Amino acid sequence: MVVKKKSAPGPYQPVMARTWWLQHRYFQMYMLREATVLPLLFFIGCLLYGLYCLNLGEVQWQHWLAFMAQPWVVLLNLLAFIASLFHAKTFFELFPRVMPLARPGLMIAGQWLATLLVATGLVLLLGGWL
Amino acid sequence: MSKTINIARYNPEQDSQPQLQAFQVDSDHSTSVLDALLQVQQQDPSLGFRWSCRMAICGSCGVMVNGIPKLGCKTFLRDYPDEVTVSALAHFVVEKDLIVDMQPFLAHLSAVKPYLINDQQNAEPHRQTPAQLAKYQQFANCINCGLCYSACPQFGLNPEFLGPAAITLAQRYNLDSRDQGKAARMPELNSKNGVWGCTFVGFCSEVCPKKVDPAAAINQGKVASAGDFIISMFKP
Repeated sequence: MVVKKKSAPGPYQPVMARTWWLQHRYFQMYMLREATVLPLLFFIGCLLYGLYCLNLGEVQWQHWLAFMAQPWVVLLNLLAFIASLFHAKTFFELFPRVMPLARPGLMIAGQWLATLLVATGLVLLLGGWL
Repeated sequence: MSKTINIARYNPEQDSQPQLQAFQVDSDHSTSVLDALLQVQQQDPSLGFRWSCRMAICGSCGVMVNGIPKLGCKTFLRDYPDEVTVSALAHFVVEKDLIVDMQPFLAHLSAVKPYLINDQQNAEPHRQTPAQLAKYQQFANCINCGLCYSACPQFGLNPEFLGPAAITLAQRYNLDSRDQGKAARMPELNSKNGVWGCTFVGFCSEVCPKKVDPAAAINQGKVASAGDFIISMFKP
């Protein structure tokens, strides 16, 4: 005869807290890397708004330029710039692990050079110097 | 030197959740966490934990040491000047004390068909050059300890996610020149619980005791998965 035991709690199913990413520095840095998209969203919003204003005419365009010169907008865009540099740094560190390369150091230097060239070219082009 | 070690105890017949219990152990320069657990077991024989080889080969003694997944035999009390807290591997169901149910992990491993699939019936040995071996050798060093699953928040959030070790194993066989089973493995890797469930947190590679770098394997798997998708678009 099988004797029925009083029901026991049984195996313990762990629950993951919402604050799991605060546990240690490694997860915090990961979340920081992911969070770099937030100031960049603001920057993209600014750019799109600028294009929209350009389409509306000179008055709106001047209005957008004034908007962009406000200290808090400059500050947020500066933050977006720093965030994108930080993201680029982590990206270049991770990339050689995704695409195994014979000379990762050289490749990373090459990517920074390409980034610099493209960015300079774009600035010169958009600034009307080319 | 005497040292305090806190152990998360769980008795499935009484407890609703693990409780910390403090023990005193003798510790010198060479005392590992596993040695300490064996000492505690002398004091309290009811303590449950897994171990076997004591030399980081069998992968049985995985535990959380101060919240980080570690092999008990490869972690030394000398590196923890203050108290040490040992608990069961995170994200797994706790059976008793430090013993977890590894069944989901083993099911994920077998889901990726981790063996050579080859139709050739001849008895000739498969020759492989050092360059062909180098392509997958690092990923073949996995000892199935499960530390990477405890390090992976994506596995914690979604237990169906194939996870670091299984995807690494799939990649290990896909990169093997003797294997022809890639087509059979890709559907599992392409699925929503496959490679795309990974967000490259990268902590799996940090905790891996064998430096397998599962995060690299998974993200190389993403490249393979994307390639597989593009090729499938051009197939009738």
